Amino acid sequence: MNKKYAMAYIIDRCIDCKACMVSCKAEWNVPEDFFRTHIDQGLKKELHGKFRMDFLPSQCNHCDKAPCVTVCPTKASHNREDGIVYVDRSRCVGCKYCIPSCPYDARFYNHDLGVAEKCTFCLPRIADGLEPACATTCPGNVRVFGDINDPASEISMVLGAAKENKQKVWKLREDLGTLPNIYYIQK
Amino acid sequence: MVHQEAFEWYIAVYLFLAGVGAGSMVVAAVADMYDREKYLSFIKAASLIGMPLVSIGIFFLYIDLGQGMWKPWLLIFLFANPASAITWGTAILTIFTILSFIYGAYNLGYLKIGCSRCLNWLLIITGICTAGYTAVLLGSLKAIPFWHQTALPILFIISATSTGISGAMIVKLIFLKSDANIKPIETAHLYLIVLEIIMLIGMMLIALQGVPEMKYAAESLLFGDYAFLFWFLLVFTGLLVPAIAFGMEEAHKLHMKTKTVVTLEIMVLLGGYLMRYLIIHAGVYTKKFAEYIVR
Ligand code: SF4
Ligand code: SF4
Ligand code: SF4
Repeated sequence: MNKKYAMAYIIDRCIDCKACMVSCKAEWNVPEDFFRTHIDQGLKKELHGKFRMDFLPSQCNHCDKAPCVTVCPTKASHNREDGIVYVDRSRCVGCKYCIPSCPYDARFYNHDLGVAEKCTFCLPRIADGLEPACATTCPGNVRVFGDINDPASEISMVLGAAKENKQKVWKLREDLGTLPNIYYIQK
Repeated sequence: MVHQEAFEWYIAVYLFLAGVGAGSMVVAAVADMYDREKYLSFIKAASLIGMPLVSIGIFFLYIDLGQGMWKPWLLIFLFANPASAITWGTAILTIFTILSFIYGAYNLGYLKIGCSRCLNWLLIITGICTAGYTAVLLGSLKAIPFWHQTALPILFIISATSTGISGAMIVKLIFLKSDANIKPIETAHLYLIVLEIIMLIGMMLIALQGVPEMKYAAESLLFGDYAFLFWFLLVFTGLLVPAIAFGMEEAHKLHMKTKTVVTLEIMVLLGGYLMRYLIIHAGVYTKKFAEYIVR
């Protein structure tokens, strides 16, 4: 079976240290002012008028039905067989149309190269058998990366365990029909 | 809430100029079918600006590109994905530019053509597609709820026609120095501006009742950072004043000098540009962590 790469965030562990953002930036020379992954703060109303704050990582969801791929006129943005949504830099004309098309605001415009940029799931690293930089760096082990078609992979185990323990597992804005591939896990 | 930042004023200029060019050509082609002799001065004026403005618009699109600008051979890939609005938009624009060039050359007497009726129809169809496409480009993006509404193409087509008339009127009055009577076009212009005001009010009222992102976008125009541009330059200068002045002239309560008419037409053009500019800048991303919107 084909590989299908995905990532899970165990969000209870995130302490908002932003090490992932920095390591990604350093690894891939991400231009000033931009990041390929972000940490948002989410406020949620709980029972009895109490509030709870969660730290919510995000990056490109490598959507199976990715709007950025649909709208890209040049097919520079495409779905790879292994599930990664990739921007072919030699083909992108820098029309920027994909940037506002992404409901997750995962893309930005690289002024130096004149192309659209986003998270690649660290494609060159995983091709060498390494983990994505953000997952390696995360001190809380929030980020679990792997092939969800392989039942023995860490991510499959983590997702399986979460299901067994009846933890909350969800993906972002599934109502939009984008079929994202980043899983959020919470107790 | 996060405003989109990828599209900036370059794109607004492109949407605006493509609209003015397409609008002027469509009105000229319609007028041509009614009474070519009567409207000849207007048709000629529109011919002078139609193709050039669309081309300048495309030029703005081109200089907004990144890598594609300095590696123009990559532009052939623009036709690679039929699912993308840009792919067929590029095709429509190319066809429309060629047609309006031929039509312009014909009207200015450089070219003879057989079936001018066919050309008129083709221009009307491709012109409306061009003006509508500039809105579909934004409207097909589900990620920006304020753009993702059917009213947008209608608003853009109305505004394109209205600004197209303004553009051609300015050329007719200043460069062709023609005072030929083209009353029906002026009347239509007044109605278009009134219609645009009604559309804009409707869109704002609906957006205020819409999903939170839409409401936020509308509020940024009505009361937020863009309120001055919206109220003063778009609504007051670009729509209300011209509507009142043209309305009073229509009712024979006012007789305007050429200078005044030209000023009003420039105000309509300014409003048309601002409408694009503001709608682009009011684009607010849909919330990704919807579960965390505290109500
Ligand atoms: S998250 Fe955005 S950029 Fe990533 S695949 Fe989905 S639509 Fe494309
Ligand atoms: S900027 Fe590049 S990747 Fe994005 S839509 Fe345009 S050509 Fe495609
Ligand atoms: S997977 Fe790689 S490219 Fe994507 S956010 Fe993590 S470090 Fe950055």
